[in-house]
Amino acid sequence: MTIWKLRNNNPLRKSYVNNNIKLNEFDALISITVEMSKFLYPYIREILKSKEDFKENSVIWNDFNKRFIELIKERFNIESMRVKKLLNQAENDEIIIKYLLILSFSISNQGYQKLKNFLYDF
Amino acid sequence: MQNKLSFHQSSTSLEIIGLPDYSNNENKDQISIISQWKLTIVDKPLIEGKLEHLGPIMDAFYIYSNLLIKNQIPIYESKLIDIKADNLHIHNIVLKSSQPNVKPLVLKIGNSLLSDTINCFDQLNESPKVRIKKTDISINIPKKLRFGLNKKVNFINSFILPFFAICSLILFSSSFVYFYSPFENIEKKELINPE
Repeated sequence: MTIWKLRNNNPLRKSYVNNNIKLNEFDALISITVEMSKFLYPYIREILKSKEDFKENSVIWNDFNKRFIELIKERFNIESMRVKKLLNQAENDEIIIKYLLILSFSISNQGYQKLKNFLYDF
Repeated sequence: MQNKLSFHQSSTSLEIIGLPDYSNNENKDQISIISQWKLTIVDKPLIEGKLEHLGPIMDAFYIYSNLLIKNQIPIYESKLIDIKADNLHIHNIVLKSSQPNVKPLVLKIGNSLLSDTINCFDQLNESPKVRIKKTDISINIPKKLRFGLNKKVNFINSFILPFFAICSLILFSSSFVYFYSPFENIEKKELINPE
């Protein structure tokens, strides 16, 4: 329930509510992201690989990209410029690959600290 | 008899060969004196070397991967190794031999192999069985940020939360790949083209 509420702090969402997030909530979000990345690493890797061999193996990347855009349209405020950038197929490849790389670099036991550093240094 | 320890991640494996430091009362399965290491990447030439090469190569990969995700120009150059991005997906690695008249080894790896390699190095860094001068490039928080950590985290609302949102969408979308079965796809193609 708490995580559910935290989602509304995101200014890109349709249902944005401006509540300040606490440091321990921020840490919890990092932990959840790292654990999910560990669990989904084989799939994250396949998506990156699919983009590398796009001519021969485009199905996984296309499925992933299609679903990603569907979720953004469903949940985000598509009038926002930042969201428009995410939806723009010419620009979003670089953003998505960068985020996939960040997730894939954060699957070690020290992944929590790594992801935190990536974020603060962004 | 030398000890061998292997770290695997998908298509990459890192093997460390060495001995424990008995003068320090270490366990017999510990490695503190590394005599050789081998980095095997599927379909790529074997990379191997001595202890003095391992640290700089690990540092090179960590620094390069940090540059890659921090919107900085992804180029790393040193006496031993050069890494630069050919494009968004391919990374060009040049390993220079310390011996004269030996041509440098050039290999190209994609993002998937790069992240496998980084994860192998992470496993080595975190292993309690290998004593190595730990690479802390990826773990250190810059001073200015460390200071910021103890203060307010107001900027979280403007940047960090969108990051988590995009990550969660990526993770949700990744799980969608669960439902993709290449075998079913091949069967369907076969049904369409029975020949």
